[in-house]
Amino acid sequence: MVSAAVADTFASLKAGLDARAAGRIVDSGGKPVSSGFAELDRALAGGFIRGSIATLEGGAGCSGRTAILAAALASATRCGLAAAIHDGTLYPPDLERAGVVLDRLLLVCANSPIASARCADILLRSRVFSLVTLPAVHVRGTVWSRLGALAKKSDALLLTLGQASTELGYFASTRVRCAIDRIFWTEGNGVLRELAGYEICTQVFKHRRSAPGAVARLRIA
Amino acid sequence: MLLCIHVPAFRLAVARRGIASSDEVIILADKADRGRVLEAGGRAHALGARRGQTVLQACAAAGGARVLVHDASYAHTVWEDMLDELDALSPLVDDAAEGTAYLEMRGCDGTASDWIVRAHTLLTRFDLPVHAAAGPNKFTARAATYVRDGCICTAEEAAPLLAPLPLEVLDLEPPIVERLHLLGVATLGELARLPHGPFVRRFGARAAGWHECARGIDPTPFRPRPYTLQIEAVAFGEGSAAQEEQVYFALRVLAERICGDLSRAGKAAALLRTTFECENGDLRELDAGFAQATADPRVVLDILRAKLEGLIFGAPVTGLKLQALRLQECGTFTTLFSGTQPDPQMLAVAFERLQAVKDIQAQQAHVRPAHLLESRFTMSHPEMGHANVTLSSAPLARVVEGRHSTQLRMLPVREVAVRLRGNTPASVDARSVVNCAGPWRVDDGWFESDRVARDEYDVLLDGGLLWRVYKQGEKWYLRGAYD
Repeated sequence: MVSAAVADTFASLKAGLDARAAGRIVDSGGKPVSSGFAELDRALAGGFIRGSIATLEGGAGCSGRTAILAAALASATRCGLAAAIHDGTLYPPDLERAGVVLDRLLLVCANSPIASARCADILLRSRVFSLVTLPAVHVRGTVWSRLGALAKKSDALLLTLGQASTELGYFASTRVRCAIDRIFWTEGNGVLRELAGYEICTQVFKHRRSAPGAVARLRIA
Repeated sequence: MLLCIHVPAFRLAVARRGIASSDEVIILADKADRGRVLEAGGRAHALGARRGQTVLQACAAAGGARVLVHDASYAHTVWEDMLDELDALSPLVDDAAEGTAYLEMRGCDGTASDWIVRAHTLLTRFDLPVHAAAGPNKFTARAATYVRDGCICTAEEAAPLLAPLPLEVLDLEPPIVERLHLLGVATLGELARLPHGPFVRRFGARAAGWHECARGIDPTPFRPRPYTLQIEAVAFGEGSAAQEEQVYFALRVLAERICGDLSRAGKAAALLRTTFECENGDLRELDAGFAQATADPRVVLDILRAKLEGLIFGAPVTGLKLQALRLQECGTFTTLFSGTQPDPQMLAVAFERLQAVKDIQAQQAHVRPAHLLESRFTMSHPEMGHANVTLSSAPLARVVEGRHSTQLRMLPVREVAVRLRGNTPASVDARSVVNCAGPWRVDDGWFESDRVARDEYDVLLDGGLLWRVYKQGEKWYLRGAYD
């Protein structure tokens, strides 16, 4: 009897150590939100933490963060509703090509930081969107604190896009840095040549539930 | 005893109300262009205009006739309002047709003359030529309105009253009237004197009804119109509300009252109309629709709050009225696993609140095939359906196939400086081009005046930027960036 109890204890300890070895420190309560990339999900110990703020950071222009955003929206719209607050630059045909169900995506065009934050507040409060994305606008820390609390309350993921301010970096549970490593072109010249895709190097440099530093290389084609 | 209220040529009377004088030559048509005549006024009829003619024919017959266009919804509203007024006279009103109503007066106070006077008083404000008459049955009462306004006919007086009336009172088709005229029958009295059996055998089963009517017998049952349930709550004369919280408090009280009434009636409202009356006399109406008809005060209040966000009144609110409209039978679709499916009412609240925010647009995107990048999608406003919303929450009918694809961001179009080497860009905005693909010729709208002809390129610049640029005419423009 005693040996059985010792064996159980030993097995549970071993399972805990295995989890720690895989980079997971605390087991998440809810199912994480998939980023749409298996490699990035592994680096994030399952995906973005539900009920929190996450950032996709990278240089303005060509960092590949919109491609990751599209994959996350595709994943979210397959099983629920998602909303994207944007500055009018998102291109719906490419989103659809990435697998986003446009019928389940609400696009909110906001032109000022405070309008973006207010929209995020309204969308999170509704509790019907599992994923809300917005540009990493520069607003006060209290706004991010409030949005973080709302995301937690509504069990949704608030995903921001762009260079995070100090305040946002503080309140974000997950921060992922993106950069394009390589760009692929099809064979040929002139009109026969086309952009074939790119490879994005992502690095998790903040994660509330796992060790930071994990790197994932994502192939976009 | 039945009271018949009849407005001769009701549609024309409504159309000419407050527009045309009674001596004007008037034609009522179904539409302005290439329409047909629905009714012709007395003078137009005398000049030769007839129902069913084209407007051109009628105008040719009655030269200089004024053509009015029939507004069916307006006429219906006027008629419904008249019926509502008549409710004050008798609780049983039979809506026979637009322009004709019967009131069951048994048990009502007063004499037939009093009822006719009261009917005229009630309908004065409509400014229509109303004829009222009393009779023992529907046909006799209506025929009495043809004899004269205010005519009262008892069962015994029916036959002599009807005898001199023309056959047109029976609303017969013109060919039948013509056949009867050929037989020497021109009045109801003459029709009543015909032998019943041979007349019915010659003119068919319907003729039995005409014969009975001509003798003052009308077995048509009286069908009282159903009452329109009106649920509303009002707060007037209880001071003024200058603060937002005061208005919300009053709305909350009214919403609870309305929802209580709805629940008791077993109904749910799909639309709520709020009327605000301000101290300066301003009246503002606000319609709030629901994703699903509801009788839940919390949902009602949430929607109202969302609708009121960003609304500014010029003066304190002194009166509030809440009306529940588009009533439906109670009961809403609910899901067993509500945790995985969004609540449409919450979505409705979110839409309303987003609408209230300035400088934002909540939209849905739709993709379509087109040549130009900008034309490959359209944006539409997400609208509230009757029982659902356009953002679909139903399980996907098919597995969505998607692949990780490059994403173009549509940047505001701006001119860029491009230096060419051969025919391909060598530098864009002073950044040298590392790699380039294109040109892809886009020639759209060549058959129209707004032709767009451009050559598009994907260029990788030395800073790592991946841009979509195009050449239109002699100038180069930046269209977007891959990200």
